[in-house]
Amino acid sequence: MAITDLTIVRKSLTGRPLSTGVTVASVAVAVALMLTLLSLRDSGRQAFERGTGNVHLLISAEPSPLVSVLNSVYYANPPSNALPMALVEELRTSQPLEWAIPTQLGDSWRGSPTLATTPEFFTRFEPEIGEPWGFAEGRVFEAPFEVVAGAEVAHAFGLTLGQQLYLTHGSSARNGSSVEGHVHKEFTFTVVGILDPTGSAHDRALFTSVESSWVLHAHDRRLAALGPDIELTTVDDLTDADRLVTGVYARVLTRPGRQASSQVQAVFNAMRADPRVTVAQPAEQVRRLFEIVSNIDEVFLGMAAAVLASSGVSILLVLWLTMELRRRQIAVLRVLGASRGRVFGLIVTEAAIIGVAGAAVGVALAWVGGAVVSGVLASRLGIVVEPTLGWRVVASVAASTVTLAALAGLAPAISAYRTSVARNLKPLG
Amino acid sequence: MPPALDITDLRYRYRASDEWILRIDRLSLDAGERVLVTGESGRGKSTLLHLIAGVLDIPRDAALGSGTIRVAGADLHALRGAARDRFRGQHLGMVFQTFNLLHGFTAVENVMTALLFSNIPSREHESRALALLERLGVERPGALPDELSVGQQQRVAVARALACEPAIVLADEPTASLDPARASEAMDLLVSACAERNAALVCVSHDPAMAERFERRECLNALADASAARTGGEDA
Repeated sequence: MAITDLTIVRKSLTGRPLSTGVTVASVAVAVALMLTLLSLRDSGRQAFERGTGNVHLLISAEPSPLVSVLNSVYYANPPSNALPMALVEELRTSQPLEWAIPTQLGDSWRGSPTLATTPEFFTRFEPEIGEPWGFAEGRVFEAPFEVVAGAEVAHAFGLTLGQQLYLTHGSSARNGSSVEGHVHKEFTFTVVGILDPTGSAHDRALFTSVESSWVLHAHDRRLAALGPDIELTTVDDLTDADRLVTGVYARVLTRPGRQASSQVQAVFNAMRADPRVTVAQPAEQVRRLFEIVSNIDEVFLGMAAAVLASSGVSILLVLWLTMELRRRQIAVLRVLGASRGRVFGLIVTEAAIIGVAGAAVGVALAWVGGAVVSGVLASRLGIVVEPTLGWRVVASVAASTVTLAALAGLAPAISAYRTSVARNLKPLG
Repeated sequence: MPPALDITDLRYRYRASDEWILRIDRLSLDAGERVLVTGESGRGKSTLLHLIAGVLDIPRDAALGSGTIRVAGADLHALRGAARDRFRGQHLGMVFQTFNLLHGFTAVENVMTALLFSNIPSREHESRALALLERLGVERPGALPDELSVGQQQRVAVARALACEPAIVLADEPTASLDPARASEAMDLLVSACAERNAALVCVSHDPAMAERFERRECLNALADASAARTGGEDA
């Protein structure tokens, strides 16, 4: 096989494997970091938008709309304030709502939040628009003390239909390392359904009837008031004070098949004027949340760009330092007939190939890195992020990397261009 | 057929020097002819080779240099940039004291690298290089320079210089790093290989033992003195 310019470049790169490897690695890390951040930024937003589904309004007694969304949709913390169920009924009748589903958060099982709600949660609410709930096994709860498990929690703990469990009244850390509250062994819950994955935070929750949650709370109330010898609390023992909810998923009446409606804003404005409730538009709050974190996002992107720039500098330095050792080789190539321009091109090509190799390894690393980060986010935070690398993003970052690498090769290439042949063919007579 | 080398009225001096380092009125060499160039150290022997190869320019400032160097009939210094480099690759071969083989390139790859800059079709490069190496007695064409003996490296260097069928081969102290026995063998190889290809050979050497192999010997001191005598030192 004939020698070509690329053969000369390849031999130059493989002739110093350590410096080439380290330089390629530094470029690859920068590319991977940048692609991972870009990938997670887009897919993170998409993941956050999943879970709010066809909800128009989220009503709660939380101090702010953003906290309301984070707690009631993403299970960040158990809400600290509650609304009386009577108020929910009042809102249902006073506003043009298609549905209003009460939710009560505060109990948990092995660190997984348990959302108490009504069967409508599964029949009317869709975690993603056009993607209703699906059951891998079983059915919706129909009676108190029946539980439906989200896909992730069922998988994580190997839950099966008919399995019995005790809920913890109160909050607990997600990883189960520090559980607060107390276990209600008086009330045995039975798993009656296991959900299909939705790609949202709901996958890591359990669901039961709102009456079940009220009974647990009422039992605590009765124990405190009447002492330990009371009979087991039932639905019949509930008072209006027990019938509290921490949130309401609501949808304003719209035309069939339409997601948006001019009514939504009107209802929102009307509810916002009500001092008893905090009302949030989940999609708007997610957008605001991303506005808040976008600054951090930009800092990370800036850091990734700085790492990429520094890897460009390392290409420059490596080529510059090796240039001193290669002047004789360049002089010999010139004697053999290589023009100055051709030598210049060889060095720039060498730098660009480092960029190409770094970009290729970086893209591969980004795939792996994205999968690792999404796995960590899913297991630690319950946020399902599917890293996606659009070919346009990959192509742009790769092209920028190769261009930067080639630019980094310019100074060494100019040095090679100006190499004195006669001086570097010594020993001279 | 034009001479392989024709030097006319060559003057060359370093910027810091008051006198001509090279002063040659005429030096001509036909195809297949060989000449040994001798001279004191610092008299400009390698500089002459670099001027012939076109890797040093004849200064445009007449106070620093002048003259014409024709290789295979072409005025090398009238060519500029890539055209001169291309011409050099196609018509000139060089052998160096330390061989200057490309590290990381096998023997055959070293020869093929010279062919990269020629007009010879690339599909012929490998077969040509292998045939030439075999003809010159290189036993392991796939070996790297470090894996070859000094004698074998010398043969690879000669093969590389002859790969493009040059009109002229320039050899700069080609035996200076060899012991006498190997030097003699290497010189035999260089002379016979050039003769076989009808390539002119300009060899610069300090080694007096080399003289008997050359029918022409030119001493740079003598050439300069003759020139000075002819002009009466007017252009000194």
